[in-house]
Amino acid sequence: MTLSPESFLERATKIEEEVGRVIVGQKEVVRHTLIAILAGGHALLEGVPGLGKTMLIRALGQTLNLKFSRVQFTPDLMPADILGTEILSDEDGKREFRFREGPLFANLVLADEINRATPKTQSALLEAMQEGSVTVARKTYALAQPFFVLATQNPLEMEGTYPLPEAQLDRFFFKVNVNLPNASEMAEILDRTTGKESPSANHAVSGAEILEMRELARLVPVPSQVKEYIAALILATHPQNENASPLTKKYVRYGVSPRGGQALMLGAKVRALMSGRYNVAFEDVHAVAQAALRHRLLLNFDGLAEGVKADDVIEELINEVKVEN
Amino acid sequence: MNIESLYRILHIWIFRWRLQRAALYAARGLAVGLGLALLAGGAGLYFQKIIKSEFLGLALISSLAATLLFGWVAALWRIRPLQAARHFDREFHLRERMSSALEVSEQQANNPLAEILLRDAIRSAAKIQPARQIPLRFKKIDLALTLLFSILIGALWFRGENLFAAAQHQRNLEMSIDEQRAKVEEIIRAMEENPALTDAQKQALTEPLKQAQERLRQTNTLEGAVSTLATTGEKMQALSEKNAQAMQALKEAGGSLAGQEGSPLQALGQDLSDGNFARAAADLANMDLSQMTPQELAQLANQLEALAKDLAETNPQMAQALQDAAQQMRAGNLSEAQQALQDAAQKMAASAQQAAGMQAAQQAGQALSAGAQNLLAMGGGQNPQEANQGTGNQGLGNQGGAGGGSGRGDAPDSNAAGGEASLAPIEQNNGAGDGGESAYEQIYTPQLLNADTQDSMGLPTSGEDGAVIGERPTTAKDGESLVPYTEVYSQYDSFNHQAIDNGDAPPQFLDLIRNYFDSIQP
Repeated sequence: MTLSPESFLERATKIEEEVGRVIVGQKEVVRHTLIAILAGGHALLEGVPGLGKTMLIRALGQTLNLKFSRVQFTPDLMPADILGTEILSDEDGKREFRFREGPLFANLVLADEINRATPKTQSALLEAMQEGSVTVARKTYALAQPFFVLATQNPLEMEGTYPLPEAQLDRFFFKVNVNLPNASEMAEILDRTTGKESPSANHAVSGAEILEMRELARLVPVPSQVKEYIAALILATHPQNENASPLTKKYVRYGVSPRGGQALMLGAKVRALMSGRYNVAFEDVHAVAQAALRHRLLLNFDGLAEGVKADDVIEELINEVKVEN
Repeated sequence: MNIESLYRILHIWIFRWRLQRAALYAARGLAVGLGLALLAGGAGLYFQKIIKSEFLGLALISSLAATLLFGWVAALWRIRPLQAARHFDREFHLRERMSSALEVSEQQANNPLAEILLRDAIRSAAKIQPARQIPLRFKKIDLALTLLFSILIGALWFRGENLFAAAQHQRNLEMSIDEQRAKVEEIIRAMEENPALTDAQKQALTEPLKQAQERLRQTNTLEGAVSTLATTGEKMQALSEKNAQAMQALKEAGGSLAGQEGSPLQALGQDLSDGNFARAAADLANMDLSQMTPQELAQLANQLEALAKDLAETNPQMAQALQDAAQQMRAGNLSEAQQALQDAAQKMAASAQQAAGMQAAQQAGQALSAGAQNLLAMGGGQNPQEANQGTGNQGLGNQGGAGGGSGRGDAPDSNAAGGEASLAPIEQNNGAGDGGESAYEQIYTPQLLNADTQDSMGLPTSGEDGAVIGERPTTAKDGESLVPYTEVYSQYDSFNHQAIDNGDAPPQFLDLIRNYFDSIQP
């Protein structure tokens, strides 16, 4: 182990501070996004336009000193537009197809308004997000590490959008809700963004350092009781489970997959380190549960019709699921 | 810092935790003990099975035992270190540091974070002050229950005198019944060891006693015990009276022989007169006619004839043998006469055995009757619970009723003992309002219950001279019973108890019936 937990905390704090120079407030959004990155996952940021989602990701890109690319998803965007394509090359009279990398070939990819692209294009991200590689014309290209996709989507405008399929949603480590800032934060935002100079973030860590941090996060021990709790929590999201809460039984169609449990535990590990601890506690699990599970919980018709939120179901599960001492 | 340091801290905390749990559960045990004592004591009092000192003992022992048991079990209850670590993680908000460090040290020792995690856990644990943060504490519900049960026990102790007195009374009664049963046992043993009795006699005599013993074992009421003793006493008396007439005739005949100075049968007569039938039989068997002169033989023959005449009605077989002996003597057939005397002696010896059986039965009957009387005397102190139910009964004796002090009670709340039995006759029409006995239904008039005859026997009224009821000789008239009241009372009482035991008497009249029979007890 080359990295100490103290260094981890120091780096993470530095990243948050640098992002905080650009983004006012939204500390939880920043933290959850950072947790997703440090856990090696991808994050989906959902919020109404104008809340600074794109700016947040851009700031993260600046802070992490990584190759950053932004893709604005539109209905006519094609998979080749983001993956890359083979073009005919004529060099020295020698003609051949050469692969031209798309914007996906970066460390940090901002998929802006991801739900505006067609499912075909959305699905082009699947292999990249899961395997860290891209296959074009029978040839697989490995993506540089670290690689993560930070996507945004607007929950209000439904016209002309294509909701992400479950398989795609499940690839996102966290789904982070971006909410309105409070009054003082709003004033600060107005002040910062209407002046002569625009705030910018400095480089805080490199890609290699991010990988070190990921490695360390995976070493954080999880007490058996907490593991049992996570397992019980995941199983309880399934309506047919005997420990399922009343809300789950009534409004949930499908519960969370094991991948959701992995996200929960890994996220809790990163959060523990970012809190200055060397072990996962129940409070870490509780803190990341909604971000890790909300997009993996599929509500049934009643739930959707009655406007039930996945967060409410998760909150109830957190309160009800217990493990024996 | 190593894992031992963590365990050391953990063991200190576990010790404090054990103390905390012991105190908590001891308080709970105290409440449970008091509750159990209250429950058991209350049930014991309801069924009149527990007396005051036992109630106190029960409350003390139950509460102490439950307190110690609960506290001890709680203190010694197995606590695994990991379980304790998890508990303290929660209690002290250590964010699973202790349990993580423990698990990692034992299961993932090669984890690069193990050492730093252990240090962190020990550093966090060092900030905890076990004496202050694991205090001895009690739950309000336990304290409230303890207080409640203590108050209820105190209330029973200080305000339940009537209940305790009733239980004491019942206990005394049961002890008396046990005593009577032991006496019956003694009588049975004495009978079985009596060499004068044959096996058949022993069987006949002990059988009713054994039945009485069994019934005494099963009953715990005064009525049942007295009824059993009285009935069995009567049976034994009846057995003793069976041959009483024959024995009496033998004694009287012996008395007349004993008065004839110098006669051959004077000694035999004296033995018969003394009731020593066995020796008399031996005297008769040992007579050697061959050594007697003719004059003596003639005198003996006369005396034997006289004796045979006296016994002709009560013991015809012996009389016949004696008569035969006399005739043979007169005829000069001394050997036949000697044989007839032997025969008469055998019959006399049989009478001796009958006398022994009769005596044993009589003694047993007397002992049982005395036992019944003792029980009645002991039971005369009315159950204080019942005594308190109406002071009207207490005045029975004084108000002109013929009660035997009905309503006597030793309960403090019963204002006064019942008056002594009045010499005045029973006033059957007296009203309940005058403190006397209320009018009772005619079905309880002192008829000869369960008797073959339908004749009723009017209670002999006491005369103006104040003679006690039942002791005045009755004068027979046509159609009226000639049996003296004193002789039939026990039979009435026996039927009364039988009726009560069988549930034939209406429950609401049980007290009235008991009081009535108490009042007319001779």
